[in-house]
Amino acid sequence: MTAELLERLIACIGSLLVGGTASWQLRNELPLHGLDAQVTKLLLGLMIVGCVLALLASLNVLGAFA
Amino acid sequence: MAVRSVARTTPYLEKVAVEARYNDVDPVYAETRDIRLFGFVLFLLADCVLFGAFVFAYLYLRTAAPTWPPVVDGKQLPRLDVAFGAMNSIVLFGSGVTMHFALESWKHLKKLAFNFWLVATILLGIGFLAGQAHEYMSAQMTWQGSTFGASFFTLTGLHGFHVFAGVCFLTVLGIQANRGVYTGSKYFGLVAGTLYWHFVDVIWVLLFFLFYLW
Amino acid sequence: MDVAAHPIEQHEAHDHIHPAPEGFIAKYVFSIDHKVIAIQYFVTGLLFMLIAGSFAELMRIQLWNPKGTFMEYHTFNQMFTMHGTVMVWLVLIPLVTGSLGNLVMPLQIGARDVAFPWLNMLSFWLIPVSGLILFSTFFVGAPSSGWTEYPPISLEQGPGGPLWCLAIIVVGISSTLTGLNFMVTIFKMRAPGMTWTRMPLFTWATFATALINMFATVALSAALLALFFAQVYNVPFFDPARGGSVILYQHMFWFYSHPAVYIFILPAFGVISEVLPTFARKTIFGYKMIAFSSLAIAILGFAVWAHHMFPGGIAPWLQIPFMIITYLIGIPTGIKIFSWMATIWGGRIQFTTPMLYAMAFIGTFSFGGITGVYLACVPVDLHEHGSYFVVAHFHYVVAGGAVTAFFAGFYYWFPKATGRLLSEKMGKVGFWLFMAGLTGTFLPMHWLGLEGMPRRYASYETFAKAFPDAVFWNRFESVSSFLMVAAIALVAVNIIYSIRSGRRAGNNPWGARTLEWMISSPAPYYNFKKIPIVLDRPYDFTQPLPYRNLDEVTDPYPVPSEAVLPRNAAGMGV
Repeated sequence: MTAELLERLIACIGSLLVGGTASWQLRNELPLHGLDAQVTKLLLGLMIVGCVLALLASLNVLGAFA
Repeated sequence: MAVRSVARTTPYLEKVAVEARYNDVDPVYAETRDIRLFGFVLFLLADCVLFGAFVFAYLYLRTAAPTWPPVVDGKQLPRLDVAFGAMNSIVLFGSGVTMHFALESWKHLKKLAFNFWLVATILLGIGFLAGQAHEYMSAQMTWQGSTFGASFFTLTGLHGFHVFAGVCFLTVLGIQANRGVYTGSKYFGLVAGTLYWHFVDVIWVLLFFLFYLW
Repeated sequence: MDVAAHPIEQHEAHDHIHPAPEGFIAKYVFSIDHKVIAIQYFVTGLLFMLIAGSFAELMRIQLWNPKGTFMEYHTFNQMFTMHGTVMVWLVLIPLVTGSLGNLVMPLQIGARDVAFPWLNMLSFWLIPVSGLILFSTFFVGAPSSGWTEYPPISLEQGPGGPLWCLAIIVVGISSTLTGLNFMVTIFKMRAPGMTWTRMPLFTWATFATALINMFATVALSAALLALFFAQVYNVPFFDPARGGSVILYQHMFWFYSHPAVYIFILPAFGVISEVLPTFARKTIFGYKMIAFSSLAIAILGFAVWAHHMFPGGIAPWLQIPFMIITYLIGIPTGIKIFSWMATIWGGRIQFTTPMLYAMAFIGTFSFGGITGVYLACVPVDLHEHGSYFVVAHFHYVVAGGAVTAFFAGFYYWFPKATGRLLSEKMGKVGFWLFMAGLTGTFLPMHWLGLEGMPRRYASYETFAKAFPDAVFWNRFESVSSFLMVAAIALVAVNIIYSIRSGRRAGNNPWGARTLEWMISSPAPYYNFKKIPIVLDRPYDFTQPLPYRNLDEVTDPYPVPSEAVLPRNAAGMGV
């Protein structure tokens, strides 16, 4: 179990967990009004995009140079 | 007639006060909260421009470079460690989710849960900073050696400074919350802290993509 | 401006009056009252103007002879650097946004203060701090690469360079916070009934300025932070040998510095929109067009920065769109100029000092604006960049534009701020001195620049050999510049005279028609005892103001129905 494999594993499982939880929370936030709710929805959504990127990076789909 | 003309022409803040009274919330608090929230969101937008300027510099330098990563002392610099970067990113994104849970706990008046999630956020934030420290120490490029190092260390350093400031901010919020400064209905500081933390999170999404995945 | 003095029962935050500040420090030093802060900005701005102006005078003495020996060439470089730096950041921006904006905008929208008064105080106090850091560079070698501080030359100038970066980052923070403060104030704290299209035009101008202030200044901080790192830590952002680019600095710098000139001029436009209707006794022509053109200028202003970089080495395909958009910016500006001319056309003009400055503004600013259109054309700019033609252009729009309008605003609102009138005689003498000085100093520069005299040169010996007239004109400019000094000195004398023995001003000495003239002069610390409800647009000279003093209305007064209210009878509702 190399360091790199461990890192990829944490990233992969973590991104699914974090992304999934964030999506669930985003769905709960969707009906709310108010500036803070709208900003939270936007930022949660972008964070989920980040989780997707991290997932693809851990699976070597993105970031596979060399 | 006069009331109608006022109601038709009242600016937004009046509507905030009217809505607050309708919902049995202190209208004075509702108005100041609305003002502070708007100001805070504008501050976050200005902060975006700060990062945007450096991102522009990075894009300019990178697209002008003949190879990327650039060649220093005859050798091409290696790329950053994507696996480690992905893991560190998940640590930060996780802290965003825990911060959201912290705020939700406070809204539902669960103080113990709030403390737990807030401490988790702070620990994950510190973990991210530790990961960045590791990344800095094991980096093959230097701040002075090439535009790769210049842009990477400047941008991620600026971001890391924001994360550090955020950790301090959240710590202070935690202390204040436990001292009773915030109540179940008046907790704007916690909202500001959460928005700031999410903002720092999202900036990292951009930086992760620009430096690790492109 | 139609208002109702006795509002519907309200207990909102902005109706709450805080207790008065007590003690000298709280009242006059660390005050959170926007009116006191405005006066503080004015005093520091004037002080820095005198310092930067004396740097300019020293330069003009050096340029008396083609190969002047008055100062070392390196000192001359420091002089033009510090003159530009201080004028841009410590004089113009504090005076037009910090001083006029702070004093007038909250009063015009019927607010008790700005949204974040403590931040406002911080914004002010960062100015003297920045000045201290900036002037400390004289002890270690002041920066000498121009107020633009381009690398690579700015990387080779000793400790003055990084200190300059720090000073300007500090003033940038002040500016950004002010912009944020004003944006929130205008969005959220207008009096009930003051919709966007019932706001006075100075407030519209301040809003557009705050937009630029908040977003562009941050980009400057980034540019200067990068320059700081390059100077102190040898980080290769701008070093071509290690992959950097000097053009990158120019992009980052000018992305802020072009919108910065709109920060100077938009509040100036706002002042003119206030002064002309009052002294022509006519409503403003084209209110909506002027308001929206301010926004258009603010937004378009972000898209033209590279017109400062045409000869630097950017590709032609990039030069052309910037040229076109720079031309386009002339359109909203022209809309304003024509609207102002239409405003005073057929009016009953009172030639008070503010009106003289405002009318002169239309002339001098248009002149400067037109030379700007010349420079917007790439082939012309390739010839004129770095010559005195550029110096003439921007001094006409800045000294002939922003400073002239600032003086108009100063003479207009001084009675509101202090409760005393300034001497009209001194004001008028000062006005003519200033205009004579302005024309004498900057008009010949156009010709000298077209003939090829380069700017930022301590000696113009070679140029003088080809054009011997240059010596006469440079001396003419040097003498004329002292007229401007005399004018500003007269302003200071006027202030002292007024404070000591000026006539007391009533609430509305000019008979103007915006909200700030319906309260006492000077305004009490809480501005309005009862926030009025605004029922109609400003600048309605067909009616007298509904109240002489809002705060003295004691009887409950039913808000009249719309059918009874006179509408804006002048009918200029564009």
